[in-house]
Amino acid sequence: MSREYFDDETLMAFADGELDAATSSRIEKALEEDETLAERVAGFSNSRMAVASAMKPLIGEPVPAALMASVRRMAEEAERGAKVTHKSGHPHDNVVPLRSRQLRPTRAPHPPWLMPAAASILAAVAGIGGFLLGRGLTPDPAFDATIAAALDRQPSGRDVPLGSSAETLHIVSSFQDGKGGLCREYELRRRQENTVTVACRQGETWVPRLALTVPRTEDYVPASAQETIDAYLASIQAGAPLSAEQEQRLLPKRDD
Amino acid sequence: MSWQTGGMTNEASTVPQRLVAFLPNLRRFAISLCHSRELADDLVQAACERAILAADSFVPDTRFDAWMFRILRNLWIDHLRRVRTAGPQEDLDAARDVAIPSGETASHARMELLEVSVALQSLPHEQREVLVLVCVEELSYRDTAEVLSIPIGTVMSRLARARKNLSELTGISMGQKRSSDTKGGVA
Repeated sequence: MSREYFDDETLMAFADGELDAATSSRIEKALEEDETLAERVAGFSNSRMAVASAMKPLIGEPVPAALMASVRRMAEEAERGAKVTHKSGHPHDNVVPLRSRQLRPTRAPHPPWLMPAAASILAAVAGIGGFLLGRGLTPDPAFDATIAAALDRQPSGRDVPLGSSAETLHIVSSFQDGKGGLCREYELRRRQENTVTVACRQGETWVPRLALTVPRTEDYVPASAQETIDAYLASIQAGAPLSAEQEQRLLPKRDD
Repeated sequence: MSWQTGGMTNEASTVPQRLVAFLPNLRRFAISLCHSRELADDLVQAACERAILAADSFVPDTRFDAWMFRILRNLWIDHLRRVRTAGPQEDLDAARDVAIPSGETASHARMELLEVSVALQSLPHEQREVLVLVCVEELSYRDTAEVLSIPIGTVMSRLARARKNLSELTGISMGQKRSSDTKGGVA
């Protein structure tokens, strides 16, 4: 009688208890007289056990206190926040109120030990929206003359319709970076997504420093995008938003 | 039937609360993936942040662990992509902080375990992640497929390959007895 052949996947599923009953009993039968088959199955059980006993004990390691504290704090804030939004009747308000937001250059967005985490947070943003971080080296193709012209003269808080149908430019604020350079934060609003950009004046042009594209539909991206922006602003020592008068004085072309 | 809404407030089951309780698991998973405690903690932190913000997208009555693993794993993939395209591979060198369960005395058993954990890190990450999800976190093939967004058949073929590779690398798992009638397998 000829032996039935079982492939590796099937034997592995058998060893893992993932195989259907019918095939399992065929294997059990075959195991009685096929030593090689038994060894192959044992190989899969052993590898599973080896990995399990190497890695499972890691769960006994105490979670670092700083990480624990930080997650607890986030959790508590979220719980409080959830209650508030439910009361106010906007449980799914997914738009970060950029307009009303105050820049907080003096407040570090994360405790110092967490700063390496910034990279991961950036990755979080990258995973969902597009993420572009440049230091003036990579010009954003979307950053065209129309926008530059608007940044030259339009006051903050104004919506500027752009030539192409569904796009609107919303200039959020102006501020000066640590070196006194003029920077502006603005949003390009499209039907599906928003791009939030921080651009600074360099010579005769505006150079985008940070651009985050986030889908409009997702609940969670805008807040973490906001964190990224806050972290970035803190890193360039952004000052408080300029008042309308200060802004008018500093803009390259006055709107009159 | 709406689980989430209405007056039903199940104190123990909100995403933020479950998250805190799940931290040791999540951290273990992160360490298994990236082999560095420092990086793992950053990943855990970022994953928690994202999970809290995305809490609404968690479907009650589905596996919370699978949902969290998926979030963390996606962050890890993003990280790998970034490292790959970002030139100098400092992160990879920093990642040599080997994942050894601490607090044990050197023993034969420990030597063997160390080998396994090193071998695990030398596998391609696609193989490592299925291995960890199934063998350490004990997810079913189906749940693993969900976490990784791949077909279950792919989970199985990767997992089988990963285990064969691991067995070869460690030499410990191919069964107690060696039969003489095999077709001259590579040592």
